[in-house]
Amino acid sequence: MDDLLADFVAETREMLQAIEGEIVAWEADPADRERLDAIFRFVHTVKGNCGFFDFPRLERLSHGAESALSEVRAGRRHASTGLVTAVLAIIDRITDMIDAIDAGESLPEGGDEMLIAALEPRRDEPDSETIQAGEQAGPRAARTNGNTRSIRLPVELLDRVMSGVSDMVLARNELARRLREQGADPALQGPFERLSAILDEVREGATRMRMQRLEHLFGALPRMVRDLSSELGKQVMIDLEGGDVELDREMIESVRDPLMHILRNAIDHGIEPPAQRLAAGKREIGIVTVSARRTGNRIVIGVSDDGRGIALDRLAEKAVAAGVASAAEVAAMTAEQKLDLIFAPGLSTADTVSQVSGRGVGMDVVRANVERFGGSVSVSSKEGRGTIVFLHLPLTLSIVEGLTVKVGSHTLGLPRSYIVEIARSVSRSVEVDRLGDGIFLTFRGERVPCLDLAEVLGLDQEVDLDRATFVFLRLVSGDLFALAVDRVLDNEDFVLKPLPPALEAIGLYGGTVLLDDGKPILKIDIPGLAEAHGLASQTRVRTVSADGGTQEAVASPQHAVVFTSLTGRRRALRMAVIRHIHMLPVSAIEHAGDGMLATVDGTILPLLGAEGANIATETITALRLDDGESTLLYAVGGVVDSLELPDTIVPVEGDDTLEGTALIDGAMVGVVDAHRLFARHGRRAAPAQQPTCRLPTTDPWVVSFLEPLIRSAGYEILGEDDRRAADISVTLDAAREPDGDGTVVRLRSRPEGSDGDPHSIYRYDREALLTALASARSGTR
Amino acid sequence: MSDLLLLTRIAGRPAAFRAGDIGSIVELTEITPVPRAPDFIAGLAALRSRALTVIDSRKALGLLGPSETTDMRAPVVEVAGHSYALLVDRVDDVVPAAGEPAPTPATLGACWAQVAHGMIETASGPAVLVDVAALVAGPGETAA
Repeated sequence: MDDLLADFVAETREMLQAIEGEIVAWEADPADRERLDAIFRFVHTVKGNCGFFDFPRLERLSHGAESALSEVRAGRRHASTGLVTAVLAIIDRITDMIDAIDAGESLPEGGDEMLIAALEPRRDEPDSETIQAGEQAGPRAARTNGNTRSIRLPVELLDRVMSGVSDMVLARNELARRLREQGADPALQGPFERLSAILDEVREGATRMRMQRLEHLFGALPRMVRDLSSELGKQVMIDLEGGDVELDREMIESVRDPLMHILRNAIDHGIEPPAQRLAAGKREIGIVTVSARRTGNRIVIGVSDDGRGIALDRLAEKAVAAGVASAAEVAAMTAEQKLDLIFAPGLSTADTVSQVSGRGVGMDVVRANVERFGGSVSVSSKEGRGTIVFLHLPLTLSIVEGLTVKVGSHTLGLPRSYIVEIARSVSRSVEVDRLGDGIFLTFRGERVPCLDLAEVLGLDQEVDLDRATFVFLRLVSGDLFALAVDRVLDNEDFVLKPLPPALEAIGLYGGTVLLDDGKPILKIDIPGLAEAHGLASQTRVRTVSADGGTQEAVASPQHAVVFTSLTGRRRALRMAVIRHIHMLPVSAIEHAGDGMLATVDGTILPLLGAEGANIATETITALRLDDGESTLLYAVGGVVDSLELPDTIVPVEGDDTLEGTALIDGAMVGVVDAHRLFARHGRRAAPAQQPTCRLPTTDPWVVSFLEPLIRSAGYEILGEDDRRAADISVTLDAAREPDGDGTVVRLRSRPEGSDGDPHSIYRYDREALLTALASARSGTR
Repeated sequence: MSDLLLLTRIAGRPAAFRAGDIGSIVELTEITPVPRAPDFIAGLAALRSRALTVIDSRKALGLLGPSETTDMRAPVVEVAGHSYALLVDRVDDVVPAAGEPAPTPATLGACWAQVAHGMIETASGPAVLVDVAALVAGPGETAA
């Protein structure tokens, strides 16, 4: 009997979740027969089930709702707002009772009759009017309902299967190692590889078993939006996209609260009251869109509204008033930095504290919560037009991207999300000073406090700072600090396991990680570490000084990664282009025609730099290059260092894959021409200029790709704020043309010409670009 | 209560675990030390895809003196969802319990009394019946 009861509770809850959205949709369109049927089916099922269990109250409630709904179904009654509210109230009561039954408590008597009475038609409602059924709308396309066959399983069983599969993978790896050591017998190799491939499939399947569709989360949103908007006297429609995106079920739970909070903000602060909306020339019904999509191994959930947006100046005033920033600081902020103030503790854009939001739980808490499980939050807003908040989430809670480092004899893991840069002491780009007991680094003109990880861990032997590698970490608060380690080992995906209490109490570690070879290591808890050493300021907002953009970009030094190519040459690539370093198994690489392709994170990318090389290892290192639109992989033998590129880069004749040669640490290093790489392989292209050329230097692509090319064509680069007249100016896509600035060269991002702009040049069309530059110059001179 | 006991020696004295508490016995080959960890935690080890926290039983009792572990076989226990491997002097045998555990005698000493469920008779003589949850909590926890 207990089992039956548990099943009843679980089933009813599941149905409750599933129909919440239906009810609201039904209210919006009472003629929607399918939704009416779904709700009817629910109350009908509840009624049938609870009769069986002898819950007379539940039975009366569901019977009341069933009768009212069947009247509507029979066309004798209209689905008025009053009826919908009454049905919702009954469903709420059913939910409460189910919870009480589950907890083994009894719900206080009374009130049921009132709820049932509310179902009766009131005279002032046009209930008895002839119903204009949806006939005019024509036959509705049959909605696909997600009734694929399913069974209910305890999560614990799934976890056991998962850990079994993980065990198999480790055993497989071990076996593979032994087979390799002993020289593989082909008779064994074939079946082993087959087994291995099957195992990978099983693992993927097992991982997916823990996934849930976002629908589970989305199901509750329409109801929430409905209740909230009527409470606030607003009219809001919610639009849900991407409910079929799958996410780890624990992650779904973790993201529930932040998402609700953002949604509440959008309705409470974002969407204006109907009158204001009409006055602003908008439809009186506000629209909130929640959309989810998967990109690589991250999920992005966007919550956008078409409300009033965030008034930056008012936000800034409030920040000053709240003491978050000084007036001078605020005055120097870019729009983006001002917008970032929304994450400052204790700030809200609401003028009045409503019942709904603005109770002191602000976006700072949302951000902190989301970052706790490895995600991030970003906001963009246009005053008067609306706001959009993005939640970027990892696919699972238990896998994080990490970096393994070595200190003394210990291997430890650092979560990648905090790491901004890695520099080696020997590259001389870092200056080390000891002040008191502290270590301070000067790196790119910034003084950064540094912790010796060996000291932090209480090891006997300190890290030798002359040979150390420094890992620069940026905290949520924006504070930057560095960790000195002996060596950086590798990038790995960490499968995190929780720590036992005795180890958690140390406050240094955030979990244990099993490496590929089955060896356990500890993951460092970066925020905990920073806090313990007083490196995290609680109140500071993320006010990263203007980097990259504006005029300074022209003068600021360029950084590059030095690596050995697969053919053993030393090469450098500009840092700005590099997004990630991947370790690729050779099996992920394919020859395709003249070139090579590789799969990374489920996408196929061109792989360069491996032509003609004989790959003897099982994995290769590849740099992921990105110009903002397309992505390439560049295979390397090994990454040597990252450093500042010298000012002089000597052009080389005869090798057009190189931008030139630079003198780095006394050796000649070829600088790979990223522009040409993308021009050739990136399926898109770019442009450039001479004597003086105005560039939109706020665009990262321009700084990384276009600027070096134009500079090498002999032009002096003028930023957008530079007052000097330029001989030529380059604009991207639809950007406004600057006034009176010589010849204008327009670039477009796509190879195919656009109709409205026949004279634009595809941005990687080097020849056309150089021709345009040449003719522009002869024209002006 | 299970009738079977796993007999071990900790700091030279017989110590018994209920067979039901023991998940398995592992052969510890490599222990990854944990910097800054309390003394009684010897480090981490891997059991297939799980990470085990290795407890030095002698130190967990709060006993002084060097470990006399000669046996790299370690009983694995699960406490509050975490798996621990217990380093003991040696793992002897699985024996049936002869009768119910008797109350902890006062003369056991503070260290042992903290982790003892009681005393139990076995075919190989009497032994202290160990409470694994108290053992893995370490000396600090129980002393407080």
